[in-house]
Amino acid sequence: MGRLLEQGKISSSQMSKMLFLVIVASTVISVPSLTGKYAQNDLWLSPILASLIGFLTVFIVFSLNRLYPQQTVIQYSPDIIGKVPGKIFGLLLLFFYLHITGLIVRNYAEFIMGNFLPQTPISIVIFTMIAVCVYGVKAGIETIGRTAQVFFFFFLFPLILMPFLLRDMHLDFVFPMFEHGLLPALKGAIIPQAYFSEMFLMSFLLPYVTDPEKGMRAGMLATLGVAVVLTGVNIFILLVFGRQSSDYLYPVMAAFRYISIADFIENLDSVVMTVWILGMYVKISVFYYATVLGTSQWLELSDYRPIVIPIGMLIAAISFWSMPNINAPVISFPFYSPLMQTICPLLLLGVAYLRKKGKRQSQAQTAAASGSVHSEKQEG
Amino acid sequence: MKWVQIVAMSVLACILFALEWPRLSRLPKRDKAAFITLLFVAWVLSMLDLPNLPGPTTFINALFRPLGQYLE
Repeated sequence: MGRLLEQGKISSSQMSKMLFLVIVASTVISVPSLTGKYAQNDLWLSPILASLIGFLTVFIVFSLNRLYPQQTVIQYSPDIIGKVPGKIFGLLLLFFYLHITGLIVRNYAEFIMGNFLPQTPISIVIFTMIAVCVYGVKAGIETIGRTAQVFFFFFLFPLILMPFLLRDMHLDFVFPMFEHGLLPALKGAIIPQAYFSEMFLMSFLLPYVTDPEKGMRAGMLATLGVAVVLTGVNIFILLVFGRQSSDYLYPVMAAFRYISIADFIENLDSVVMTVWILGMYVKISVFYYATVLGTSQWLELSDYRPIVIPIGMLIAAISFWSMPNINAPVISFPFYSPLMQTICPLLLLGVAYLRKKGKRQSQAQTAAASGSVHSEKQEG
Repeated sequence: MKWVQIVAMSVLACILFALEWPRLSRLPKRDKAAFITLLFVAWVLSMLDLPNLPGPTTFINALFRPLGQYLE
């Protein structure tokens, strides 16, 4: 298993842009309403608290990568916890990624249908997105990395438009701060922290980074960027809508519909949607790529390209599975995601460290023993 | 509607198979087996009435229900 399935290489800055888009793309649209439900007008604090999970995950992945360079989590988990448990963990993780990719695609399709294409059948929206992603994933990690690099700047464009909302903002919506203590803000952080733990995707990207020693910095920067953007968006939404922000399903879209300058610059929500689809494409491609690469490593295949399309079909199937109506919430996601992507890897890292320490000690013991034998011989 | 779906998915599966096979035939047996199994699973799943069947999402939701109730 020495040879690499993927021949492409990305730079660490491309990786950090990919990770940034992966998390921001799905959170920026809906997170103010999700956190606002629990945190009320302290919702600006929640992304900052949630980002701690992101920093922790980056640290875990980077440390694991230092111990097992050039390998993904699917490859090193059998080395750490033994062949059978490692393979079982790999299977659970792959199942998680397959499942989550399906849910993300479904989320994307719901959003497009709810806001812009109400007459289109949902299957068309899902299949077109997966078809584009098949193309990207088949082309390899280099292509996804470059698209992320280009789309990153487009994605920041709507943030420049935010000041147009200054007219509709009310600073007094922020007060009273911490009316019920810190607990509401902590509860509001439960959903965003699940997205922050998606930083674990770094494990599938780091082996193909040309300058892996900068991986820690790149990952931390991406987490910091996401935290800043989400906090900024939450503050803007809070100042515009106040405690009502949780009443909107997609508050960012609603806020951008407010923008009207000289009756000329209007309907900017379509700009937001266009840019958001670019980000969503990167997000789905990275998840899809991780699933495909992980599966081919788990099965020890010689190439990952043949299974791209079958897995795409599986993702489409899962995006329909047991979700008959629109917006059936997945209540388990805030717990399932950090369990698979932060807590389990943390345990892996712990075991890996202990094993390494044990190995060093036993090596030292054997060295000491052979040394003493040697000296005894000399005496004899 | 149901029959249209079944025929469309079967045709799609056949087209994908025909498109991928020339490249796949040069690869080891293991790759072929993985491709055929995954395509078959996806094909079978696509013919079921998926939206109304219990699936992975139901299972995971049931597993994490005690924690989810805390959020409600």
